[in-house]
Amino acid sequence: MLEYIIKIKRNTTNIFTDAFAWRMAWRDARHNFSRLFLFIASLITGIAAVVSLDSLNNSLQQDIERNAKELLGADLVLNSNKKFEGEALQVIDSTRYTLAGEAELSSMVLFKNSGQTRLIRLVALQGDFPFYGELKTLPTTAYAQMKSGAYAIMDEALASQYEVSSGDSIKIGNSTFPVAGIVTQIPGGGGLAATFAPSVYIALNQLDSTGLVQFGSRITYSVYVKTKDDAATEALVKEVETLSKKFGYSYETVQRRKEGLGEGFQSVYRFFSLLAFVALILGCIGVASSVHIYAREKRDEVAVLRCIGSSGWQAFNIYFIQIFILGLIGSAVGSFAGLGIQQLIPVLFSDYLPMEVSFTISWSSLLLGFVLGALVSVLFSILPLVSIRFVPPLTVLRADFQATKVWSKTRLAAIVLIILFPISFAAFQTKSLLTGALFFAGLAVALGALAGVAWLLLKAVRTFFPAGAPFVWRHALANLFRPNNQTQMLMVSIGLGAFIISTLNIVEESMLSQVEFAGNENQSNTIMFDIQPPQKEGVLNLMRDNALPIHQVVPIVTCRLSEVKGKSTDFLQSDTTDSISDWALAREYRITYRDSLTKAEELIKGELHKKVSGKDSVWVTISEGMHENLKVDVGDSLVFDIQGVPLKVRIAGIRKVEWQNDPPNFIFVFPTNVLENAPQIFVTTTRITDQSLANKFQQELVTLFPNVSLIDLRLILSTVQELFDKLGLVVRFLALFSIITGLVVLAGAIMNSKFVRIKENVLLRTVGARTRQIVQITLIEYAYLGFFSALTGVLLSLGGGWLLTTFFFEISFSFSGLELFIISLGVVSLTMLLGWFNLRGIVNTPPLQILRKET
Amino acid sequence: MTSKPVLEAESLTKTYRSADRSLTVLDSVSFRVEQGNSLAIIGPSGSGKTTLLGLCAGLDVPTSGTLSLMGFKLNNMSEDDRAYVRNQYVGFVFQNFQLLPTLTALENVMVPLELRGEKNVAPKAKELLERVGLKERMQHFPTQLSGGEQQRVAMARAFITAPKILFADEPTGNLDDENASHITDLLFGMNREEQTTLVLVTHNLELAQKTQRILRMKGGKLMEDSNTSI
Repeated sequence: MLEYIIKIKRNTTNIFTDAFAWRMAWRDARHNFSRLFLFIASLITGIAAVVSLDSLNNSLQQDIERNAKELLGADLVLNSNKKFEGEALQVIDSTRYTLAGEAELSSMVLFKNSGQTRLIRLVALQGDFPFYGELKTLPTTAYAQMKSGAYAIMDEALASQYEVSSGDSIKIGNSTFPVAGIVTQIPGGGGLAATFAPSVYIALNQLDSTGLVQFGSRITYSVYVKTKDDAATEALVKEVETLSKKFGYSYETVQRRKEGLGEGFQSVYRFFSLLAFVALILGCIGVASSVHIYAREKRDEVAVLRCIGSSGWQAFNIYFIQIFILGLIGSAVGSFAGLGIQQLIPVLFSDYLPMEVSFTISWSSLLLGFVLGALVSVLFSILPLVSIRFVPPLTVLRADFQATKVWSKTRLAAIVLIILFPISFAAFQTKSLLTGALFFAGLAVALGALAGVAWLLLKAVRTFFPAGAPFVWRHALANLFRPNNQTQMLMVSIGLGAFIISTLNIVEESMLSQVEFAGNENQSNTIMFDIQPPQKEGVLNLMRDNALPIHQVVPIVTCRLSEVKGKSTDFLQSDTTDSISDWALAREYRITYRDSLTKAEELIKGELHKKVSGKDSVWVTISEGMHENLKVDVGDSLVFDIQGVPLKVRIAGIRKVEWQNDPPNFIFVFPTNVLENAPQIFVTTTRITDQSLANKFQQELVTLFPNVSLIDLRLILSTVQELFDKLGLVVRFLALFSIITGLVVLAGAIMNSKFVRIKENVLLRTVGARTRQIVQITLIEYAYLGFFSALTGVLLSLGGGWLLTTFFFEISFSFSGLELFIISLGVVSLTMLLGWFNLRGIVNTPPLQILRKET
Repeated sequence: MTSKPVLEAESLTKTYRSADRSLTVLDSVSFRVEQGNSLAIIGPSGSGKTTLLGLCAGLDVPTSGTLSLMGFKLNNMSEDDRAYVRNQYVGFVFQNFQLLPTLTALENVMVPLELRGEKNVAPKAKELLERVGLKERMQHFPTQLSGGEQQRVAMARAFITAPKILFADEPTGNLDDENASHITDLLFGMNREEQTTLVLVTHNLELAQKTQRILRMKGGKLMEDSNTSI
């Protein structure tokens, strides 16, 4: 009697016309929004990160564009380390454009109010600089007063550090200047440069009275030009190019400054993009993870719906509608939150920007966030939601019934799109498909490495964990290996957060260790330079009088290159086929002569010629790296122009130089008996450990030898430390996005295992476990998880940190075990806290109540 | 002359693969049920009675054998087609009620008709809820109802489509005696009024005796097919 088979013709409706799906989506969601908290939190965090950083970048680019002229203060600036004289001056004067002049050099300053001294950047100004933008002072008349006579104005930070106020006096070289006020804003000034070398400004006509302009002094002269329009600037640039080649001048235009700044910010933006990318990817993982939990929770309801006649797609549509609408809401909230966060960034960044940044609302970033959020919520929820289509209705009769995994086209398409998404997003952000692919590959390698380390750790722990450990410790560990555990996934997501923070810490530590040499025993921490030959004995006697050790007395001769391997530098600069950098050909070299290597040097090729006898050829050594820049090797010839006298030399050897070790170090070192009679200045180094002695010595030095400058490396160390503290704050603030998203993922994963834990705990309580024991087991399990995750991240960060410091920053690798331990402790505590927060309700609930809920 | 069979099973076998061995939970079971009849499937735990119910209701497909429900050969149908058949002709009552926790009692009852695309279904749902004595509890969510009340909502949901066949899996299994008695009366009363075919799985012999026919299962095999005195 089975003959009457009827072919079914069902009315299939799409998601837009299926009123039942929309009605059910609303009915089901009205009491369920809290369950989607993790989903929306992941989305908001990821999108907020992208929008805030994208918007920040847009604001910066716009402001650079808008304030370009104010960044330079003129249409064109011509720079030289010699005074503009003769033909060059005639050419400049003949333009009849408005001009302003500047001379800049390093000098010591003595603060009369406190008797303290400091190395500063002395800027002597002439004319109406700046032509664009404003030099703002407090009081407002200070700049005019400075130009009128022997007055000085100084950077706000310097005045504040040395408690200088208007009316106080400072001594620069031989002259004393009353302080007319402080500089609060100057075109092209401020930013990072001011942190290292704060400036003092005087009128150019007062510079000679200081006695600082002597032979060997490193002074940069600049002429600021204001033309009538851009076309005039372009015409002038063509003239200046000729001058630049002939006299070795450099020049900068508004366009060049803009490009330079743009490139600088582009690097910063790439770093921000990486952080945003990580935060977004973690957000995506969070979305997928939370939707997976949601879909699992809905399994029973879907089974009932399937039982009473819902199709797989209808059931899917109900939850997809919910996720999509919440995704849109989350995207909007995330986008606006991103704009809100962007408003906070200026507070963190203000110290490092050479201009005031307006941080306007970027509508394109807002749109990007909205579209991206919608895309992420759809793309990363489809895969877990598709499982709803295949929930077997038989589940209503047998809760433990597992359907066989179905590989639908939707599932495959979702996987392909999910792989393509991060590549496309990274390519869009960096505007390069290759960079995008590299970003993705980098993330995949990092995640793969994290997963690998996590796997190895778990295997090792399982193999070597002592069988005789107390029950709670063993049980907590066994929990990590429960069926369907997500331990490895959790270790990867928490480990990623630990990895970012630890790598940052290692880079910071490595950079700081580069300047911490000043703290080492027997290392020089004070350098005096610009010592004229007649002053040499006086300075050394002053050191002896103060019982200071004389570590080095080094002669310095300034010169330029005129020939490399038989070709003139002029020819090489104009030859477009050679690859020698122009800067290496045109720069001024400061060279020394001696017959031995210092402890910071090692001969890696060739030999060392100690002394020249009679009419021997002069054989010099060159530092590693520079020989590559100049494309020279052992045996090649060079001709130096030493104060107008040509000197042909040959490369005898190549030295490896640890630049940070016992400065000063040199690119070229000549043998003795060649340069002894050339015009030269001296540098001497010592070590001062007592601060009061340092103050006394510096005061005496500035008084007796005003032109001699002194670098206190301890001051540089503390400045670098301070800089890192501030920059670290910015980077940590941005890394926080990744960490918060990571925590959301963690919370999701913990919730995911909640149901399994409930059953385990109930079982334990039923067989007599006390609350204290359950609490202990739970906390220890999370402590294990946090510990293994932190270990995974920290282990990998040691590798990542080594790669970064060695190949990217090219500095020695260094890390602080204590700080990495503190980071690990933080990760463990956070994991335990989250775990406990999630489980507190379950632990306190009587087993019968849960058993009833479970049936 | 026999009436048209609503349900017809022929040599139904169900085998599950577990690790590297297969387990036959239902072994060549054949029977047929006519329109308006009532049938109880009884047997000890693990005898295959729930598996048989699942197959009969189209919730699962047999490994071999054929099954016809309302003339539709379920073996060859997709899951969505079987869902359509269930929606059109089948009602369910479960031991643990299986109400949708996020919907009110009224909404739970409305769902099967809404799935058919029908409009203005609330009056019919209200009428059924009144019939099962839940007039005052229509806007309550399942968690706000007692076990007996939840089962009555489930019965209203099962009958709202006027199903040709009703499958009940231990419908009184989670209820106390008083509620069990009330539900039993409702189930058989509505079954008679609506002329629905009833297939019920139970451990409760007393409940089974209220049906016209009893299938006794053991070890996956149909051991006895007997008529009761009803």
